Amino acid sequence: MRSNFSPDGARRAVLVLLMASAAWAHHSFEAEFDANKPVKLRGTVTKMDWINPHVWIHMDVKGPDGKVVSWNIEGGPPNALLRRGWTKNSLPEGTEIIVEGFQAKDGDTTANGRDITFPDGRKLFVGSSGQGSPDGKAEK
Amino acid sequence: MRFRSCWSFLASKGALAAVLVAALLMTVNASSQTAKRTAETAKKFVAPRTPWGDPDLQGWFSNLSEDGTPLERPDRFAGRRLEDIQGEELAALKRETQNRTIANFQGPLHAPEHWWQDDLNLVKGSQAWLIVDPPDGKIPPLTPQAKDRAATRAEAKRKSGRGPADSWEDRSLYDRCISRGLPGSMMPAIYGNSYQIVQAPGYVAIRYEMIHETRVIPLDNRPHIGSHIRSYMGDARGHWEGDTLVVETTNFRDESAYRGANAATLRLVDRFTRVAPDKVRWAVTVDDPETWTMPWTFAMPLTLDASQPVLEYGCHEGNLGLRNILKAARAEEKKAAEEAAKKQ
Repeated sequence: MRSNFSPDGARRAVLVLLMASAAWAHHSFEAEFDANKPVKLRGTVTKMDWINPHVWIHMDVKGPDGKVVSWNIEGGPPNALLRRGWTKNSLPEGTEIIVEGFQAKDGDTTANGRDITFPDGRKLFVGSSGQGSPDGKAEK
Repeated sequence: MRFRSCWSFLASKGALAAVLVAALLMTVNASSQTAKRTAETAKKFVAPRTPWGDPDLQGWFSNLSEDGTPLERPDRFAGRRLEDIQGEELAALKRETQNRTIANFQGPLHAPEHWWQDDLNLVKGSQAWLIVDPPDGKIPPLTPQAKDRAATRAEAKRKSGRGPADSWEDRSLYDRCISRGLPGSMMPAIYGNSYQIVQAPGYVAIRYEMIHETRVIPLDNRPHIGSHIRSYMGDARGHWEGDTLVVETTNFRDESAYRGANAATLRLVDRFTRVAPDKVRWAVTVDDPETWTMPWTFAMPLTLDASQPVLEYGCHEGNLGLRNILKAARAEEKKAAEEAAKKQ
């Protein structure tokens, strides 16, 4: 498994990050996640919880020391994702992904997911309409 | 002579002539107006009827495109009427709203728009602001009682020493997956803007995707329940006024009273009118003499959209966010305590 904990997150941590909107989610971002702790995680999906009010993607991430750490990534609401073409099978177990997001304030291996990309650079539903979904079908 | 007499007669009776000419013109004008009215009547939408004769409001609706519309009239439109902001001016305003929303999502803490927005299309928004009465588009001033009540609440909270996340009970009803209340359940948000209206003889039911609510509204003029029985969504009673469904809701709980209103005196009146084959106008009059100096009303269209059915939003299914918010607050307290200890 070619997973690692990217130093890119640390570089980005020096950025002064501002809260762009407090209304992204059903609950407040700033109450749960730390805008000063951006993370970039590369690993494999172990499970996707297709649950309300937000989906959770669980992934194994291998650190520089070779130790595998489990991360929990909060995603969008399943209803909203479904309307954008996701399904509960969009990220099957074993899928290798790169997640950029922000870590939980308590330092737990929990993060709010923002961008998801695949190792070949394809983005998962990020960008203009019409980009490919993970199973290769055009986004509706 | 006879002719002259006749002409003379008419000339001498100028007033009568004027009347005759006026009558002729009025007849022509009336005919024109009748034709215009006929054309307007032909164009005017007539709401369909249910098999039992009520106006038919049924269907799947969305108001996602109204998200981003301010409740009150922005100061830049001072002196302007809502109905005057149309055409290219409105289109430009909505493009501005759309661009501002996208810019917010593309900041350093950006959220991929497709994660959080099911269909960002604010350019289709229909109006510049929501309040239609009073005409200045502003929420009327608070009453002295309301100011006192707010001050008392703030003081009680200060004295309690409670923080924003000491317990789940300190979080909003929305954070807690309980309810968005009224009118919150139908206020446009970044997702979850689907609604269904279903009718049966004597009842109308309204389903709200977020958060998982259904109001069953009786139309049989039964009285409200006792004032000591309160609920987050209140107690609704409906009736028809012409083609408009009027729903009066009272009996709110303190925690769900809209904008800090007095739950015991708050009365919300929804009005649903099918104004086009694909539109229902939704207006809400907020009436609480204990809170505002006069009732006020906001309105927006709900758009029929069979492609956006209400999907189940079982909010309690995995509300891990609430747990994580409390964990985050405990972690911050610990960090603050450690830093304070270091300074000593």
